[in-house]
Amino acid sequence: MVIDTEWRDYDVIVVGSGGAGAHAAQAAVEAGARVLVVSKDPIGASDTKISGGIATVRESGADDDTEELLSENLKMAGADLPVQSITDAFARDSNSAYDSYRAQGLRPPIDIERNTPRPLPLPLGGHTKRRSVGHRNAGIAFGHANWNIIVQGGHGGNGIDYLEDAWFLDLVTEDTAPRKQIIGGLIYAAAEGVLLAVRAPSVVIAAGGLSTLYFPKTDAMRGNTGDSYGVVARAGADLVDMEQMQFLPFCITSPPSYEGLLAGEPVVASFLGVLRDKHGKVILDAVRLRTRAECAAAIMRAVEDGRGTDNGGAYLDLTANKRPPRSGPYFMRVLTGSMSSAYTNVRQAMGKAAANCDEPWEVRPGAHYLMGGIRVDADGASAGGEDLGFADQGIAGLYAAGQAMGGLFGSNRLGSTSLTEVAVFGARAGNSAARRAHETSTKSNDDAFAPLITAISNRFGQRGETAAATLRLELQRESWNNIGPVRTAERLDKLDALIVDLTARLETVAIPAYGTWNQAFLEFEELRNMLDTAKAVSAAARERDCSVGGHVRLDCKNISALSQPYSTVVNRVSADDWRVRRVRRDRTPLRQLISYKIREHKRLAQAKMLRLMPKGMQDRKLEKLYQAILGKAGQVPEVAPDSAKNAIGERTKA
Amino acid sequence: MNGDNQTGSFGSFPVTIVTQRDGEVAIVPFDYELRFDGERPMALDVLLQAQATTMPDLAFRYGCRARNCGICTIDINDRPRIACRARVRAGDKLSPVATLPVLADLVVRRDGIARQMGGRLQSGGQGNALNVEAPEAYHDLTACIDSYACLHNCPMHARNFNGGLPGDMEGAVPNPSDGYRWGNPFSLLKLERIRLDPLTTEAGREAALEHAIHLGLDTCVGCAGCKCGVGINLKGLVIKSLVDAAGDWLKTDRD
Repeated sequence: MVIDTEWRDYDVIVVGSGGAGAHAAQAAVEAGARVLVVSKDPIGASDTKISGGIATVRESGADDDTEELLSENLKMAGADLPVQSITDAFARDSNSAYDSYRAQGLRPPIDIERNTPRPLPLPLGGHTKRRSVGHRNAGIAFGHANWNIIVQGGHGGNGIDYLEDAWFLDLVTEDTAPRKQIIGGLIYAAAEGVLLAVRAPSVVIAAGGLSTLYFPKTDAMRGNTGDSYGVVARAGADLVDMEQMQFLPFCITSPPSYEGLLAGEPVVASFLGVLRDKHGKVILDAVRLRTRAECAAAIMRAVEDGRGTDNGGAYLDLTANKRPPRSGPYFMRVLTGSMSSAYTNVRQAMGKAAANCDEPWEVRPGAHYLMGGIRVDADGASAGGEDLGFADQGIAGLYAAGQAMGGLFGSNRLGSTSLTEVAVFGARAGNSAARRAHETSTKSNDDAFAPLITAISNRFGQRGETAAATLRLELQRESWNNIGPVRTAERLDKLDALIVDLTARLETVAIPAYGTWNQAFLEFEELRNMLDTAKAVSAAARERDCSVGGHVRLDCKNISALSQPYSTVVNRVSADDWRVRRVRRDRTPLRQLISYKIREHKRLAQAKMLRLMPKGMQDRKLEKLYQAILGKAGQVPEVAPDSAKNAIGERTKA
Repeated sequence: MNGDNQTGSFGSFPVTIVTQRDGEVAIVPFDYELRFDGERPMALDVLLQAQATTMPDLAFRYGCRARNCGICTIDINDRPRIACRARVRAGDKLSPVATLPVLADLVVRRDGIARQMGGRLQSGGQGNALNVEAPEAYHDLTACIDSYACLHNCPMHARNFNGGLPGDMEGAVPNPSDGYRWGNPFSLLKLERIRLDPLTTEAGREAALEHAIHLGLDTCVGCAGCKCGVGINLKGLVIKSLVDAAGDWLKTDRD
């Protein structure tokens, strides 16, 4: 054997060391479990760390905010695809979960009078109440908190063991009546060059999303290679809403070093920003009030229609905001102060004229976040069965949290929710995982590990003529084209054929025969996960034969808000047998839906009126609106998550 | 423009990439093909192109491509740089960070740093007591992205390797799994952050200072100072503050 296998015993394995992994590990340890955190990237180097650093804190900005309102807000924004017990759990735990970051040193701005963290001045990102709290240094401040939780472990610490540079390869399960259960997992510890066979009755999957399938058209961390979904799909667990990929609408198209990075959110369009095609025709107005999905769809439909820009995008035109003599300077202050890391990307990538809003910005959607994922209940336990899903029909001992899980966001994710999500469901999953470990009498069945150990060991030294990294490039290009922001049945066929082809070619990948940090092996394993994940997305996208939220089918109609909502569930029976089915979702009562729609139309109509008003009147009206946002002092509120002062890295000259 | 299909039409320039596989070091020449006229690529662009063309199994870390995640640090011409935002010129040498042990190619093992902080990251505060603003300097320190660029030329960190670099060390290199015995600007920053936190108790502040002393704060006395990869004033905000707080203690309590 090129590579040795060592055995370990834990109560809970946590896969991933971002926000979800850190909070799962902490909750499991507090519940008395022996915990191993496994992370392929350095501890804490996750999407949480590079996020905008805005968290949802219920009631932070409005006394009439409630758990019910927040839960309903999530569910309706997600077009009724979210599972209500899960949105309820989010709403209930959001504040205690947020405080667990603060116990690790996260320090938000404080509203002294209200004695709460101070939220941004307006409800943002689809929220109906002010409850989004920004932080200095954005996600990096959260990254410190997560790192502290995990690293504090060991001697004199909280008892969490952790491994970085360690790839969780596969779950080990056992078919016991009445259902399959987890008995552990196999890990490649690249730094030591060994395989670890870990016996554990509970595994929490917190290994993030799949955005790297679309690289370089993504703003997310490279590590998002679909590991969460690949690993559980191969174990036979259900995946839900896998077609619901959130694309940020306004990402940079060029130059290549910046491709895919964030240029801005819909809110930067302010009162007069519009999207235009290459001929200058408006393809979407009132951009500020639109969801990310609506903006992304408008751009991609124009591109498909041959009206896209040179780099396959559209123009985000903010120039009308800047031009008016009175309100223009206010707009520039809000723009430069409120999302400064995105603004810095724009300035560096597109130049001065664009940064000054004298020219429109060329933008294109970029992969950001998978809203579907591992099918779980409100405690993060793997769920199966019909309708909303049942934990006693999932895989026993399997848990998921964070982006890895599905069921919370459905077809649209509200802004600022992910940082709260990882803490809420990380803690819930970690706690449930520890409880199961406590209740399960461990009877080890090492034989069940044997076939997997043999299969993996034999990969070291595999002869071949190709490299997984080369195959990956092909998958990434075609994923964008075929399961990206627009899809058709024909394109899904094309991707499926490629997946079959690349899966076969995995056997021709050359992997040298040494144990320590074997890059060829790592690329091989990540590609395996990406292929299984792409297959799950494609299967769900085929079943969803209408457009809704993050899923746009050019060959189908939009789904009606009044139709019976459903979610897609994908299950891998074997490498060439993937099953997909629909499960029922509860529709929000008609009266609520209608009043929601009326409010939406009213806001859009007001926005249109403002845009078409006589210029002088418009300018004075806008001036007042900006003054209200900026407050008495006329300052850009320091709530702005990443103000210029914290534009990381821009101080060291390249 | 993307220029994906126009490779070669805008010229190229040579660099060298230092690789290490299964213990064998090699210096590999690589010609970077410009993707558009006048491109000034980042180091990460060069590594990605190398991996996409002639070096498919090239090992290097990266994450966000926007200088936020801190994991792509490499040495360019023997100085630590954040690869996604460091421009490369003809003749540059790209090699793994020299201050940490190499695992493969440009990937170094980082956890010896994290593990020395085990049990040293006291946190405090709960409930409404959490509603306290932190001082400006606190936020200056949480801007740290863990790039570990600050290990460069740090004599405290070098004590782990007999005063030099891990690659030059004679005899056994300390095992990162145990956590490095001696500290560095990053670990001191983490401790100073605790001291600046308004929710840290007096005992917590003292413990943080003791940890700094135990990690080798005495090395900082008279040191010319360290440089942060993202521009944090380490010497002013971290080192001076800790050294001043330790005061006489440093003079008597070495090691």
